[in-house]
Amino acid sequence: MSYQNWLDYLQSAEKNSMLSGKLRKVHYKFPDGRQMAEEYNMDTGIVQRRAWRKSKQLMGEPEWELELGEEPRQINWNGNNSRGGGGDADNVSGGEFTVRESNSAPLLTKRVTKKNIEWRIRNLPYPLNVYNVSAEPDLHAIVVRTSNKKYYKVIPVPDLDRCGMPPIQANISTHHQFNTLIITYQKPDILCEMEAQVLLLLKNVETETDMDDLLKGLLAK
Amino acid sequence: MGETEKIEVRDITRIERIGAHSHIRGLGLDDVLEARAVSQGMVGQKDARRAAGVVVQMVREGKIAGRCILLAGEPSTGKTAIAVGMAQALGTETPFTSMSGSEIYSLEMSKTEALSQALRKSIGVRIKEETEIIEGEVVEIQIERPATGTGQKVGKVTLKTTEMETNYDLGNKIIECFMKEKIQAGDVITIDKASGKVNKLGRSFTRARDYDATGAQTRFVQCPEGELQKRKEVVHTVTLHEIDVINSRTHGFLALFSGDTGEIKQEVRDQINNKVLEWREEGKAEINPGVLFIDEVHMLDIECFSFLNRALESDMAPVVVMATNRGITRIRGTNYRSPHGIPIDLLDRMIIIRTVPYSEKEVKEILKIRCEEEDCIMHPDALTILTRIATDTSLRYAIQLITTANLVCRRRKATEVNTEDVKKVYSLFLDENRSSKILKEYQDDYMFSEINEHEEDVAAAGGGGAKRRIDTGDGDAQAMEH
Repeated sequence: MSYQNWLDYLQSAEKNSMLSGKLRKVHYKFPDGRQMAEEYNMDTGIVQRRAWRKSKQLMGEPEWELELGEEPRQINWNGNNSRGGGGDADNVSGGEFTVRESNSAPLLTKRVTKKNIEWRIRNLPYPLNVYNVSAEPDLHAIVVRTSNKKYYKVIPVPDLDRCGMPPIQANISTHHQFNTLIITYQKPDILCEMEAQVLLLLKNVETETDMDDLLKGLLAK
Repeated sequence: MGETEKIEVRDITRIERIGAHSHIRGLGLDDVLEARAVSQGMVGQKDARRAAGVVVQMVREGKIAGRCILLAGEPSTGKTAIAVGMAQALGTETPFTSMSGSEIYSLEMSKTEALSQALRKSIGVRIKEETEIIEGEVVEIQIERPATGTGQKVGKVTLKTTEMETNYDLGNKIIECFMKEKIQAGDVITIDKASGKVNKLGRSFTRARDYDATGAQTRFVQCPEGELQKRKEVVHTVTLHEIDVINSRTHGFLALFSGDTGEIKQEVRDQINNKVLEWREEGKAEINPGVLFIDEVHMLDIECFSFLNRALESDMAPVVVMATNRGITRIRGTNYRSPHGIPIDLLDRMIIIRTVPYSEKEVKEILKIRCEEEDCIMHPDALTILTRIATDTSLRYAIQLITTANLVCRRRKATEVNTEDVKKVYSLFLDENRSSKILKEYQDDYMFSEINEHEEDVAAAGGGGAKRRIDTGDGDAQAMEH
């Protein structure tokens, strides 16, 4: 029941930080080859996005995998940028993808607020009584089942793993609205404490000046 | 329409054909590497097989790099058969590259490049990698082609597990895979998300009653459980050559014009060697050295041999098995004569396995196995005659007579090949001995024979030759009917 491991792991990383608008972006480079990027909201001190990049075995550049937050929405929705890559005008051609979920398929996003962890599953039209959301401490995950066998998802909760807490059923609440299932998990105290510690740790990381602000300042003159 | 026709043609070639060595399933050794008399399609040649068994053991242990083994023996004494047996005994996991000595002569590639590609094809690397796969039962599949026949195809598939169901859009490349694998509703499939590889696991049990008649090889599997998309650690076995190709391919526009088999730079190879060694140290990869088999090795020339001398010293070299049927002969590319047509310095690095001619009993055994392989029922007397033919002429000729005699037998609507059938095909088809005898006898009547001997009556021979050749044909038939 301790987050010391996680703090040590963050400590071991090579960290870079910069400000962009109201966001503070932090980049971690861990000694085992993994990379992590986080975006903190300057007003609330809450992580809005967090992504991981694992080194790949064979050739090729590894891709960023989003743990938290949303990918920027794209109008030209094709396979190339469905994974958060740049949406260049060049690759609108389509047909380049191998296989992808159709855009009516359920889509899971995760969000963190001050008190809660929230998951939103869009494109789920069934009424609330169809869903069965349960905490499974053995799997270290929350499992979403549907009684009509249309959707099933094991949602890992890395935040809780990091402070060694199993998910608890009592902390889960669900809500359904506008084709979206919202699962809210109330953060345990130890998790809030850990996040505060991480912020303290990041305080010491030097932050580069934001180019945007600099430019604005120059233009104002 | 054209598309489906093409697929049909491709499928026909998938039917197993009977090759010269398709009856061999292993080396026919027992647990202590003793050779059984007749086993796994192998007959006789006990010492050579035992030696090959030791080599197989050496490859399996995988510690020794760059050893060279020479299979030497007269023609049709089972050198290639032993090599095929070794490949079978090693199994599909161990890379076994088979090539012929003359394969390296190409206008597109230098000889040494061809050899080093062959060497690198024989080293497998097992890499553990986590990939995302989709595993589910096909509920519905629809592929739409544009009315014009060409252009983008649009595909949609609905997959389900016991717990969920999702629709997927299919890209162009994967539609091809779906059509090739003939995937339809009720099949349980996996899709590798990164590579787009589609794999058919079998048919779902729930669809077992759909058709009364299913193919013998239809496998029924349970509908997968849980989530459709899973992260799985899969073990890829790739050869060093494949890694070379992937990393040396010119990217972009030029990739259209350069094939896979262009020359690969040494720097690329060195980099890959280092990377693989690094992976091995980290425990991510495992090196799985295999066997390179070079048949007709006397066809290599002196440059190749000296290249091999050096290449075999590398610690990434596979075990090389060579076969030759030559005695003391000229080394290709020089005027020097050497045993087996191989320079002494390379011979010195080899261990030599000798194959000996088969005894009559063994020949009979081999013919019996071949009859079984070709689904030919042969009367014991016919088999005895065939054995006689094999010892008098050659084993290969006798094996060819099995096929032809079987056809003749079916012509007269019998099921068992008897002595008459064998006699008939023996008279119909010449063996090498008889053919060369006839050539010697009637040398003068064949074309261009006059150039050396009788230069003055060219015109006379040109007219009479054709007539006399017909006579020759009749003469043969008579001679054989005795």
